[in-house]
Amino acid sequence: MYGYVGKILRVNLTTRKISTINTEDYKEWGGGHGMGSAIFWDLCPDKTVDGRDPRNVITIMTSPLSGTLVPAASGRTEVQGIGIQGHPIGWYTRSNFGGRFGAQLKYAGWDGIVLEGRADKPVWIDIRNGNVKIRDGGHLWGLDTWATQEEIWQEVSDGQGFGNWVEIDSWRDRGRTTQRPAVLTIGRVGELQSPLGCLIHDAGNGAGQGGFGGVFGSKNLKAISVIGTGSIDIAHPAMLMNARLWTREKYGFNVEAPAADVGSFNFPAGPGATPYLPPGIGQRPQGCTGCHKMCRGRSAGGGNESHCVDYLFYNNYDAAKHGQITHHLLQAADLVQKAGINVYQMQTGLIWLNHLYQQGILGPGKQIDCDLPFDQLGDYVFVERMVEQIEKQEGIGKYLFKGLAQAAIDLGRYEQDLRSGILPLQEWGYSHHYDARTEVEWGYGSLLGSRDCNDHDFNVCCYWTPSICALFGAEFPVSAAELAAIIAEKCVPYSDPLMADYSDEGIYKEPMAKLVQWHRHYSNYYKQSLLFCDWAYADFVNPYAEGKKGLTGEAEPKFFTAVTGIEQSFEEGIEIGRKIWNLDRAIWALQGRHRDQEVFADYIYEVGAQPGYTTYEIPYVMPVYENGQWQYKALSGRTLDRQKVEDWKTIYYKLEGWDPNTGRPTRRTLEGLGLKEVADELEKNGKLGA
Amino acid sequence: MADRKRNSKEYSRRSFLKMASGTAVGLAFGGFLPRLINVDDHALIIPASEGYILVDTKKCGGCVSCMLACSLVHEGKENLSLSRIQVLQNSFEKYPNDISQEQCKQCTFPACAEACPTKALTADPTKGHVRLVDSRKCIGCMQCIQACPQQPARIQWNHEARHSQKCDLCSVTPYWEEKGGPDGKQACVAVCPFNAIKFTKEIPTQVGDFGYKVNLRKHDAWGALGLPTD
Repeated sequence: MYGYVGKILRVNLTTRKISTINTEDYKEWGGGHGMGSAIFWDLCPDKTVDGRDPRNVITIMTSPLSGTLVPAASGRTEVQGIGIQGHPIGWYTRSNFGGRFGAQLKYAGWDGIVLEGRADKPVWIDIRNGNVKIRDGGHLWGLDTWATQEEIWQEVSDGQGFGNWVEIDSWRDRGRTTQRPAVLTIGRVGELQSPLGCLIHDAGNGAGQGGFGGVFGSKNLKAISVIGTGSIDIAHPAMLMNARLWTREKYGFNVEAPAADVGSFNFPAGPGATPYLPPGIGQRPQGCTGCHKMCRGRSAGGGNESHCVDYLFYNNYDAAKHGQITHHLLQAADLVQKAGINVYQMQTGLIWLNHLYQQGILGPGKQIDCDLPFDQLGDYVFVERMVEQIEKQEGIGKYLFKGLAQAAIDLGRYEQDLRSGILPLQEWGYSHHYDARTEVEWGYGSLLGSRDCNDHDFNVCCYWTPSICALFGAEFPVSAAELAAIIAEKCVPYSDPLMADYSDEGIYKEPMAKLVQWHRHYSNYYKQSLLFCDWAYADFVNPYAEGKKGLTGEAEPKFFTAVTGIEQSFEEGIEIGRKIWNLDRAIWALQGRHRDQEVFADYIYEVGAQPGYTTYEIPYVMPVYENGQWQYKALSGRTLDRQKVEDWKTIYYKLEGWDPNTGRPTRRTLEGLGLKEVADELEKNGKLGA
Repeated sequence: MADRKRNSKEYSRRSFLKMASGTAVGLAFGGFLPRLINVDDHALIIPASEGYILVDTKKCGGCVSCMLACSLVHEGKENLSLSRIQVLQNSFEKYPNDISQEQCKQCTFPACAEACPTKALTADPTKGHVRLVDSRKCIGCMQCIQACPQQPARIQWNHEARHSQKCDLCSVTPYWEEKGGPDGKQACVAVCPFNAIKFTKEIPTQVGDFGYKVNLRKHDAWGALGLPTD
């Protein structure tokens, strides 16, 4: 096989049995998420178990593109299993992280890892090419994520250190490497099985959503280390090299002559870390394996590999306190990475606690007793104290430790604070990220799934770019009509000229359902399974490209064919995405999912969208089609209409071939996708759509 | 000596000193000089390569795309261990010490070639005197790897094809149709997203890394992006 390396590692932590699964058996799913869901379906017979149950099966999957020269598709790794973060049910869910782990796993000869069972004491998994050991992790338990990795590095190097070639096996027969092992690990909150627990790799690559750090903790698994010296065979090497250079020449950031790409942070974007760092600090942009754009950085003052919400959870507090971003922010970012704690929950938690503090409800001796030093909000010490209380489950930390939804329930604040929006958990107990009231495709996609979807495809071109241009008076890179036309052209096979209509009426119509349908299917296959990075793909509007049309639709199949030798059209990939989406939907149905549960938090229906109130959003300016013409329009202040959302759901379910009364897949739909046994299982459990 | 003469040029003492950039060649190669050079009216040496790779370690983003491209065009595979340029990094180290790029220097005195007992590693006159390995002649003794004075050694042991290999400036790339070598393109240079790797025909200063690790950030948008140019 080309692209794939042929084997998936299967580790049963209870029995300590190590075995392999043939990748070929799951190749039809592409890789990553598709393979992970199919393996989960096969190996987790009772899909209703809690995420901390040893019967929960966790998959950590690469793609055929991992470890190759495909730009922004080489460094991602997909994690799946039953999560513990979602509310009221953890749901079968996913997360994803960047860095080097997936590439090293491929070089070691593995397309993925499947974890089953629970170890009887703390362990870590040591993978050196085909040599896999479950090692005692007692000495690592209690260490932060960075210290754990450095300790494992030393153990794997066996005293050789780094900075030179390191022999991990027989040099003559298996080669050697200059690379450090790629380690995926958890911090203290993960060890304690908190839903706030993340998986952390290197300094700042985190799989946060889903609470998989806590799931690792429940399995007594501190870390997985992998180092490899093997090869990934490429079907068409010259085609791959030429395609990479084609994207560089036609679509990529040009350091010699940067385009004026206002508000874009996907494929054509340049280095991304600079705005988060204090002025004047020495730094470099830094990227995952094979990346072409380097969205994060390393600096002389810390904050290594943190970016986006790793900083944004605290940058405004720092700036408000000190007049500008300071070293306090870098220290805070480093701390949350070391602690392995979900930064989105930190961000939302800070918003919530601060509101309660401002209202006189929370504080020393108040209704909610809390001794966090709010007079020092903006200083590093505030975050340090908050993390410490969570890790020690003391003070307010004993509530936050359980996740924000459960914390609010325990404190008697859940219903009222979700209604007012001061606790912005938009759906499934996950933190408000982008606003369902304005950027509806984000909200709908999250609601129909299992977590905050975190898919920026339309978020960049339909929200950030026009909103930044409007905010700063810059010229829009394309008109609203041009944007709508590009989206309609690229969103095959669901193309509709009105699918990018975010108007008050358009968001409830079938074209928007088609956009969400394409979004789910594209993401399920191309981003979650082939592991094209969300911060580069999809690329709709590109300032370097002819006609400003991005590379999506042409690039994805070109790279897939170059690596695997498999001729597969873009639409065929979308169809695999539909199949994966339906399999996930079937798993959720077995867990009890019903359309009646698919509702947003009350504030989405009752309080007008207030950008900056819930997260780091700016006022939403998005394309609308009104009075027979396209324009960009400010949408802040909007609420969603409950009944219209329900009506839209019915439209969507019908488009997907799901039962509109339950939202569950039907036999006809599943069998049409080759998933007869899935339909049989749903029917056996009374969960098949009618 | 006969073999060496075939791969050699005669340089006047003046041009030799110019080539060495007026630096303390004796300090760098003193132990080897008598074995190579007739220090008389004419100096007999292995000819200098007609091309060199320069890097800017403060500009490197650590994406290892150069390594992936190198392995791809030479081997038709992706394998960091088979890349002829190596990027080492430590996530937890502070800038600028978190990354180093380690490329072959195409040394004016190639200790690797000198060490090769079968003349498999030579300065190939048909490819601009790039120091490269003829895999058919390599017997796998690894003496070239041991002889490389750099750390990490810039010669790799190809454990899959079972021979030594090194940077050839893309003179021989079975999996890339571009003309390579000193008069062509180099995959690592072509692919680097930030132009942190550069090709030059000028012989870099031959003391330490000074001539090979350079500042490539002064004449593009690096500074305008708020990134350091010093």
